[in-house]
Order: sequence, then C-alpha cells, then structure tokens
Amino acid sequence: MMIWTGPLLPLAALVWPFLLAALTALPAFRGRAVRLLPFAPLPALWLAVAGVEGVTTAPGLLLGVTLGLDAARRLLMGMTAALWLIAGLAAQPMAGKPHTAVFSGFWCLTLTGNIGVFLALDVVTFYVAFAAVSLAAWFLVVHDRTEVALRAGRVYIVTALAGEVSLLVGLLIGAAAAGGVDIEGVRIALGASDAGPVAVALLVTGFGIKVGLVPLHVWLPLAHPAAPVPASAVLSGAIVKAGLFGMILFLPDGAFGSVLMALGLAGAFGAALWGLTQSNPKAVLAYSTVSQMGLMVMLVGAGGAARETVPFLALHHGFAKGALFLLVGAMLAASDRRHRMLCLAFAAAVSASVAGFPFTGGALAKAAVKPGLTDAATLALSLSSVATSIILVWFLFRLWLLPNAGKTATHWPLRLSLPVVAGGLAFAGPWLFWQSWTGHDFVYALAMKPVIDALWPVAVALPPALALLRWSLPQRPPGDLLLLLQGWGTLSIPMPDLSLRWAGGRRLFDALALAIARAERGLLRWSLSSTLLPVLVLAMLALLA
Amino acid sequence: MTALLPVLILLTSLVPAVITFFLDQESHLLRNALSLGGAVLKVALIVVMLFAVAGGAAYETTIPLAPGLVLLLRIDALALLFVSLSATLWLLTTIYAIAYFGTQPELSRFFGFFSLCVAATTGIALSGSLISFFIFFELLTLSTWPLVAHKQDEASLKAARSYLLYALPCSAALLWAIVWLESATGPVLFTEPPDLDGLDPMSLRAIFALFILGFGMKAAIVPLHGWLPAAMAAPAPVSALLHAVAVVKAGAFGVIRVIYDVFGAARVAELGVGIPLAVLASATIIWGSLRALQQHDIKKRLAFSTVSQVSYIVLGAALAGPYGMIGGLAHLVHQGLMKITLFFCAGIYDVRAGVRSIAGLNGLGPRMPWTSTCFSLGALGMIGLPPMAGFVSKIYLGIGGLESGAPWVLAVLAASTLLNAAYFLPLLYRLWFLEPSPDATGDENAPALVVPAVIATLGALGAGVLAASAVSPLGWATLIAERGDIR
Repeated sequence: MMIWTGPLLPLAALVWPFLLAALTALPAFRGRAVRLLPFAPLPALWLAVAGVEGVTTAPGLLLGVTLGLDAARRLLMGMTAALWLIAGLAAQPMAGKPHTAVFSGFWCLTLTGNIGVFLALDVVTFYVAFAAVSLAAWFLVVHDRTEVALRAGRVYIVTALAGEVSLLVGLLIGAAAAGGVDIEGVRIALGASDAGPVAVALLVTGFGIKVGLVPLHVWLPLAHPAAPVPASAVLSGAIVKAGLFGMILFLPDGAFGSVLMALGLAGAFGAALWGLTQSNPKAVLAYSTVSQMGLMVMLVGAGGAARETVPFLALHHGFAKGALFLLVGAMLAASDRRHRMLCLAFAAAVSASVAGFPFTGGALAKAAVKPGLTDAATLALSLSSVATSIILVWFLFRLWLLPNAGKTATHWPLRLSLPVVAGGLAFAGPWLFWQSWTGHDFVYALAMKPVIDALWPVAVALPPALALLRWSLPQRPPGDLLLLLQGWGTLSIPMPDLSLRWAGGRRLFDALALAIARAERGLLRWSLSSTLLPVLVLAMLALLA
Repeated sequence: MTALLPVLILLTSLVPAVITFFLDQESHLLRNALSLGGAVLKVALIVVMLFAVAGGAAYETTIPLAPGLVLLLRIDALALLFVSLSATLWLLTTIYAIAYFGTQPELSRFFGFFSLCVAATTGIALSGSLISFFIFFELLTLSTWPLVAHKQDEASLKAARSYLLYALPCSAALLWAIVWLESATGPVLFTEPPDLDGLDPMSLRAIFALFILGFGMKAAIVPLHGWLPAAMAAPAPVSALLHAVAVVKAGAFGVIRVIYDVFGAARVAELGVGIPLAVLASATIIWGSLRALQQHDIKKRLAFSTVSQVSYIVLGAALAGPYGMIGGLAHLVHQGLMKITLFFCAGIYDVRAGVRSIAGLNGLGPRMPWTSTCFSLGALGMIGLPPMAGFVSKIYLGIGGLESGAPWVLAVLAASTLLNAAYFLPLLYRLWFLEPSPDATGDENAPALVVPAVIATLGALGAGVLAASAVSPLGWATLIAERGDIR
C-alpha cells in the first residue's frame, strides 16, 4: 500500500489544504467554509503517523520542489498537524459569523505553509512555504476587524514583510555560496563562506521575527491576543515553530551562538516579567510564548546536543500553549461556576507542565535538554522555570477574573474537551517519545535528581507569585518596546507626545516627497530635448568635421 | 515554406493593419474579425514554431532593401521569447480593446495603428541585424503616436507630443550609434559577433552609451522615463500595449540585444560598462518606486511601477552573467503578464465603476470580485511574493548579482520589494477591507473585459508555480542561455 504512505503523501499533505483554501472561495462553500477546517490537516497528520521516510520530488513545480521526512520533521509536523486539527474543531462555533469564508481560506493557506516549512528539503520550497505561513496568517490576526485587531495587523504585516525580505536575501546568499538549493548544503556553506556571517545575521533577523526573538518580538504580543481564540492557539503553538525550525535548519552549529543565547535569555526573562503587566490573559500567554521561544532560541544558540533536543521541547510547548489558549476560549464561553472551576483546574495542570512540574511532559522536555548544556546554561534554564511559574500563576489569576459569559455556550463540554485533548498530548507526548529522542530509559526520568531539579523552581516561584496577586504590577497595554518607540502611554490616555512625534514624521515625509517631486521635475526638464537635441546635433557636426 | 515563416508571422499583423486603415468606421464586425483573426493566426503559428525551435530549428529570411542593406528576419529561441509574449498579450488586448471601445468613433484608425504597432514589435523581435532592428524600432515609435493621441483631448495630445520629444532625439542617438559602429565593422548581424577590435575602447564605450540612450528611452530608464507616466492619458488598451506588449519591452529587448549580440557579455565586462548600467537600472528601480508611492491616480502609480519593474530586465542584462541574464529574460515575460493584468483591471475599474483614483477603490473588492482578485494577484506578483511569477525573477536576479560580484543588487531588490509592498498593499487593503462610499456603483458584467484579465493572471500564476518546467518563461530563458543564442 505504498500509495497511501509513499512519496505521493507529502505532496498530498500540501496540495489538500491548498485545494480546500480554493474551495472556500466558491459561493457554494462560503457559508459553511468553517466546516472544512478540521479536514485540512488530515493528510499531514497521516503522513506524520504512517509516512515512509524518503524524498519526494516534483521537478516541474516552483523551482523544483523536494520534500522529505526525518525524525525531527515528523515530530514537529505531527504536532503541528494535530494542533491545527484541534484548533480547526475549536473554530466550528464560528460558523455563520461574518467573514468566516475569508478566515477559513487563509486558515487553510497558512496551514499549507506551516506544513510546507517542515517538509521542504530545498531552499525555494522552504521560502515559499514560509512566505505562505507568514503572510496568510495576517488574515487570522485581523479577522475581528476591530481597531485593535487592525492595528495589530499593521504591525504584523510590516514586521512580517521585513522578515520575509531579510530571509530572502539571506537564503540567496546561502544558495549562491552553496551553489545549490539543498538546505543541508546551504547550512554547511554558510558556516564556511566569507559572506556567511552577513547571511546568518539576516536569517536570524528573518526567523527571529517569526519566533518572537527579543527585540524583534513586538508584533507577537499584539497579534496573538487580537486573533480569534482558535487562531491564537495555532499562532502561538504551531506557527512560531516555523521560525524555530528555520533556525535549526539553516544556522550553522554555533554560529552567532552567544548572540542567540543572550537574546534568547533576555526574552525568556524579560517577556515573563513584562507579561505580569498584562491584564488580558491572552496577552499574558503571548508574553509567555515569547519567553518560552526565547528559551528555545537560547538552546539553538548553545548548539551541540542541546540544539538537537529543541524539537522535543517544541513538541511540548506547542500542545501546551495551544491548550492554554483554547482554555481561554472555553472560559469565555462558560457561566456556571463549576464549569469555570473546571477550566481553571485544567489550565493549572497545563501551566504546571509548562513550568516543568515533576512528572509532567514539560519536566521531561527540560530533562531531555539538560545533558547537552553547560552548568551556567542549566542554571539559566532552572531560573527561567521560576519566571515561567510566576507568569503562569498570573495567567491563571487573570483567567479567573475574565467576565462571566452570563450563559453557557452550546456544546460546552465539547468545547472543553478540545483543550483537554491538547493538554493531554502535551503531557503524554514527551513520555511517548522520551526513549527514542533522548536514548535514556524511564528510570532516568523518574530518578530523584531530575525530580528535585524540576520541583525547586516551582516552589521558589510560588511566594513571589502569590505576592503579585495581592499587590499587582501597574497594568500596561501589550507592545512593550513598541510603546517605548511610540512614547510611553496607555490606551486609555490619549498619547500627546505620540501624535506630536507622528506629526514630525509626517512633516519629514512630506518634505522628502516634495524634494523627490521637485527633483523629478528637474529631470524632466533636463531630459526634454531642449538640451539633448542641440547637444546631439553639435556632436554630430563635430563628428562630420 | 520554412523560409517564409518569419515573413508570415510579420504579415499576420501587417495585413490586418493595412486593410483596417481602409475600412469604414461602421464596419465593426469586419474590423474585429480581421484583428482577432490575425492575432489568433499569429498565436497558432507561434505555437507551431515553439515546438520546432525547442527541437533545434531556426528560420531565416533575407529581403534586400538597397545595395548593401538587407532586412534580415530570423527566428531563434530569443526572438521567440519576445514574439510569443507580444503575440499572446496582443490577442488578449485585442479582445479587451474591442469590448473596451464598443462603437466609439475613429476605431479604424485605432485598430490600424494598433496592429501596425504589433507588427513593428514582431519585426523588432525577429530582426537578425542591427539595421533591421532600427527600421522596426522607428516604425514602432511612429505607429505608437496616434494611439497615445487617440482621445484627441488636451491631455492626450500633450502626452503624445511629449512622447515624440523623448523618442526622436533618442532615435537619433541610436542611429548615430549604429552608423558609428557599422562604419568600423560593416553590417552587424546578431548571429555573428562583429569584430570590435578596430575601435578603441573609448569609442566603444561612447557607442555603448549611445545605444543605451537610444533604447533606454523606450525602456523608461531614469531620466528618460517622463513620457511614460504622461502617456497615462491614453485609453487602457494603449497603456497595456505600452507597458506590457510592445514599447517598453522593445527598449529592454534592445538593451539585451546590444549587450549580448552586439558587444557580447565578455566585451561589456572588459569595457567596464556593465556595472554602471546596472547602477543606472538600480537607481531607476528605486526612483520609480519612490515616485509610485506618491501617486494618487491608479494608472499613474502603475506607470511608475513599470518604470521600476522594466529596469529589472535591464539590470539582469547588465549584470552579464548567466543567472542575471536568465532572470532578466524571464522577467521580460513575467512583468508583461503581471503588468497587463493590472492595466486591464485599472481599465475595468475606470469603465465599469468610474474609478480612477486610488481613494475610489474603497470596498470595490466584494462588488467586483474577479477583477479585484486579478488585481490583487498581479500586485502581489509585482511585490515578488510567491507563488506569483515575480519571485522567480527576483531569485535569479539576486543570485546573478552575487555571481557578477555586485552584492549590492540584493539590497536594491530588498528595497524594491519593500517599496512595492508599500505602494501596492494599501490598494489591496482599500479594495477588500474598507467600506465603499455610499454613492459608489460598479459591476463587472463585461466578460470580454474580465476574461483577458483572468487569463493574464493565470499566466502570471502559472509562470511562477510551474517555473521549473520546460514550458515556463524561466524554462525558455534557460534554454536560450544554454543554447548560446546570446553570448
């Protein structure tokens, strides 16, 4: 039965969601487009479960598409496809609302790109897939079309395009240095070539924007909370992983290691702290994502064995973060106190896993990483668990404070079941793949030392976290550095200095525009034959003479 | 028969042109049948020849004009690249133009010159010698003027005058270059490299500069681009012709011929004129985009976008390496497909919704979904977003820049991408996301206008999605490079 698991399957995994995206444009499907979403990731999921490793080529497509599967790709793609499936089911209550056909179409397109990033073996396919996941996701961010969503969309599209361009240039330098488009070859060439550092810097910028690497993360805390809940789940759980995987694929081992470690740590701690100034639980989660991704970027920077285990960590984080976002959705739809308690309990369990509480999937993921790290990095990892615990306690607090829906939505148990499944996968996934990924047996994971290692950060975090609930930090709108850039302020207070600055920028822009227009008029006068013609005639005469 | 093929292809446009001039204004049916018939026949002939030339064939016809002066028509892979682009787009534009004009006055004049213009472009593509090239190039200049002036209002006449004022001095420069060169080398055939050793490097540089002056005006290289935005006063089919089918393409094609078939890439590098031209092209790319950003009229913005995009082709040619050349040649087709889509759509917005200004686009997307989808895809292609054709050109040009030791080309491409996004994305946002003004009207119940736009869009999409296949523009450009039609 090679046809069901063989070389056609990777192509089908990409073509199928793409076709569904096209279907949503047909008038017959427009009203029910959301119903298609759960079907979109099915071939990819089947590929992750049953696909045979090997290379698939479609030489006529793009500049020659090559797709393939290996252990890391299978793990990440499986997680991604499963999360998209769960989120697609969670999106079902959106059916019948306005603009859902557009939402569904671009949902499928984003999914195509997200899967493509994990399957691509050549630079061009990777770039195309990355562009799809990056740019199509804009429609998920702005779906609500509120002022907040549109502003988040503006910031998103500007940073995404900047990332796109720096990625393209970096990849071109890499491909030229390698003399080919094979991703492996490009990574090796980037390590060896003179232009390598420039290209690596550009790639770090391009991927850094996607993973939310400080200071390129500014779009993330705006966009993830602005999107509808199911879209937030895939944005934070799956889409950011595309950038992370890009780093693993393209950065030569150890290149820019210290920079990546420093920025990653800055994100891991800085974002966790800043998240405490957020009152919207989705914004708190977004900052937690920046923090967790910072941790993973740090591991990529550390290189060696640590870098190899990053997909394992990403597996856990993807499911866990997806579950947490979906729990926010479930909480928003609940009114019964019992239901709300249930939500909170599940959220607490998943949060404990993210913080690395003993015997959870998160603890296992962190234990898998540690052997590859230096002592200092190990300490940083443990300390980051402290920060994570604090921010997640804050998240639970803000989750509980969400306004009561007033009336429980229909099918509420079903709505709750989806994050529970995602959370369950976050718990079980690392156990399932523990032996094949780390080579250790379960005795290692259950030994005393890792348990203590996992326990103390959570214990240390609890007193400050509880203190925080009592005396909370001043609350700020999401956007941190972006706020600094625009002049400090909050959404409730109009920002006088901001508008002044903007006016200044406006004036500068107008002056520039005027200068260009003036120069253009000069050029036109110049090139009108008034000068050209006599000069030519004279020159010809001179030639004849 | 095979020796007559080049002439036959030329006649498919020339004969309708000549007959159309004598047709009564009221004989719409006959006139349309002639134009369409010629266009369809031409496309059919070209399809036949694409297969033959892919198999290695080449056709040549020599027509003596005067002692020592022959008209040489030759069909090879490079000629076919240009001629198949112009023939296909001519067919689409003819369908579009018939629907666009309906029963307006002076159509016999219009379609006569329209066909003549395409005949001249075909001649340019098929020319096998410099002097043949020049003859058709001048025919193109003259036959375009009545098209630009077609509306006969103040703005059109001014635009047409400006066009001639730019064109004629540059033609003089071109003639000067040809005479200077051929006086030293004898007649220059594109198939046989002329012996340039008889001229000193300074003279060669001067001749090269004159050639660029001559062709650069049509290719709208800054500062010779002023006529192109002004020509926006002309009707939409003419804009399509100027921007995609014939005129600017003829200029860019001339630059390619001069670099590869007159001087040769090696000589261009030796003289050190390639990089200055690449710099000029890059400046044009940036300048055109900056100016496009400042326009409030849809067609003007598109016109400055053409100024910018056509220089991609010149840039690719000037880099004088295999990748740059393939990228430039492929972009000749890619830009044509994408830009004609945009102009078709701009014309539809104008005649069906009365919208010419960018502000008027608000909310037109849901009202005119086919047109707006085509417009959006064309614009995304211009930005260079995959899988539209533009990204293929960009990848090849970028690698070409690195290969020719000009890594700054990457910075130009990056800046151009961002600028293109800055002037196209707000349009798309207006189309799809903003509310229409309450008194807005508009529909797209005009299949003859919409279908050409859809076909051109599909072409641009296909050229990107199937770039690696042999039938794509990129595949054909690669064939040209491998075969060594251009050196």
